[in-house]
Amino acid sequence: MLEAKHLHKSYTLKEKNGWLSRRKQQIKAVNDLSLTIEKGEIIGLLGVNGAGKTTTIKMLSTLLAPTSGTISIDGINAVKQPELIKRRVNMIAGGERMLYWRLSARENLMYFGRLYGLNGNTLKQRCRALIDKVGLTEFADRPVERYSKGMKQRLQIARGLINDPDYLFLDEPTLGLDAPVARQLRVLVKSLAKEKNKGILLTSHYLEEVEELCDHVSIIEKGHLLLQGTPRRIIQTIVKDRSLIVVMKTLDKENWHWLKQETDKLGIHAQKKETNEGTRVDMKATFDMTSSFLALAQKRNLQLIRFDAKKPNLEDAIIRLTEVHD
Amino acid sequence: MMKMLTICQAEMRKSHRHNFNNRLIYFSMFLWPIIQFINAYYAFKPFNLGQNSPLSRFVPVNKLGLFLITGCIAYIFFWSLVQSAWMMGYERQQGTLELILLTPASRTLIMFSRAAANLIEAVWMFSIFAILTIFFMGGLHIAHWWLLPFAVMVLLLSAVVWGGFLNTIFLFSRDAGFLYTLFEAPMEFFSGVRMPIMAFPIWAKVIAFVFPLTFVLTILRAIVMDGKTLGSICIPLIELAIILIALTAASFILVRYAEKHAKETGNLTFF
Repeated sequence: MLEAKHLHKSYTLKEKNGWLSRRKQQIKAVNDLSLTIEKGEIIGLLGVNGAGKTTTIKMLSTLLAPTSGTISIDGINAVKQPELIKRRVNMIAGGERMLYWRLSARENLMYFGRLYGLNGNTLKQRCRALIDKVGLTEFADRPVERYSKGMKQRLQIARGLINDPDYLFLDEPTLGLDAPVARQLRVLVKSLAKEKNKGILLTSHYLEEVEELCDHVSIIEKGHLLLQGTPRRIIQTIVKDRSLIVVMKTLDKENWHWLKQETDKLGIHAQKKETNEGTRVDMKATFDMTSSFLALAQKRNLQLIRFDAKKPNLEDAIIRLTEVHD
Repeated sequence: MMKMLTICQAEMRKSHRHNFNNRLIYFSMFLWPIIQFINAYYAFKPFNLGQNSPLSRFVPVNKLGLFLITGCIAYIFFWSLVQSAWMMGYERQQGTLELILLTPASRTLIMFSRAAANLIEAVWMFSIFAILTIFFMGGLHIAHWWLLPFAVMVLLLSAVVWGGFLNTIFLFSRDAGFLYTLFEAPMEFFSGVRMPIMAFPIWAKVIAFVFPLTFVLTILRAIVMDGKTLGSICIPLIELAIILIALTAASFILVRYAEKHAKETGNLTFF
């Protein structure tokens, strides 16, 4: 298990203040953040830009030292024994950097594999298996500079798996990828956790992706933990309102008064609006009002031409949460 | 040792594919030193090179070609590593430096392996030319045959230690590019590549002893030009050993300090 407790990270920012003097300013990138990752689990780390996600990932992967706090991975202190931790973790970032573009996929993997102490046939077989796994077999010996963005990202995943890490930190791995490629990567990430039992920390701005993949989510803002829980729990806690939009060809005065009275009784807040499509009724409640409304519509034989029940999602929760804290 | 060989192999493959991918690079690495050598040789021609010339007090005039080619070859060994260290900037920009530090491989080993790998790639072509030129030019005076491979080993080892040290400095700072300027012309002039350092004024001699290349050239020329035995070159050998040990120790300390600094400031992502 990976356990990070009360992590703090501050940077000293030096700003020029005249010719010779410099003004020092302390910037808190991470402020008292605690999280745990079990093997086989995918944890989402969410927050707006500058919230401290990348700093957290770099601390967990030993690239940055926390100003205070502890990180232990399977009982090993990551701050005191980083050389042992480096064998158990790896990091994958989105984007096209972090690869040698003139080298092929195989050569990139062979290079990084050797730095992890792999050699000979073990290294060759591992590289071949990873190339197959990410679907680059056909292009394994082609220079990376000729790869598409998606192919580079797949190679990044293979590179991150070269040391067969127990914990993998993914920093916006689907950044800028088109939908089918992003989908393939999501399937791969899920299988790494569920089939290969790897503990995964994922940051992403695509909240649907986080909702689909993550078992637990931590939401941070200005380096501070705002909320932790399953995506479902977070949505339920933060977003109380559910919305239902129906459009009817016509809705006369009498029916509208009746509908308004009935919905009020049920605790549904309803509003009517005339549109080009017809009469639109927007309803809001703290519960799923689908079946209650359909029963009412059936009673008065209301002709629906659109019925749109919107479940709150993680995006709604994040927006609501950041609004509250601004 | 196995680890060093593995990392060296990794660096060599990477360096070959990444920095020496285009064959024209080899051509320029071959042609540029030759032009330098010809330039140095013919720069002396307009002057009085007779037995009574000021130069003849320091270099036997009939061995001027040998003096210059030994200077050139040693300089190329050292200079190529300044260039390779400069390439660390690319690793920083591309983010691969961060990934290298993400691995458990020994940082010091990486720095020295990188130097060794780049050295071999950068100098083998000119080395062949230089060896052939030396044999055709004549004037070699070697006390024992084994001193020749010994001199080559001294040159190789010194250059690798020098290169490892430079790589470490470039690892430490993104602003280490000034070293490129610092080590280009001054190293060539003060180390006695073209001019014997004994002809320098005192202040220039002091600067000369800052560069390990000075000691390497003294040893190399003593072996191939003056036929000196191992016993008679033990003082410059000890001086060189002290400098190399100091550079290696400094590299070990600086690598640790650079990584610690990077972990505290996150400066590896600045470029």
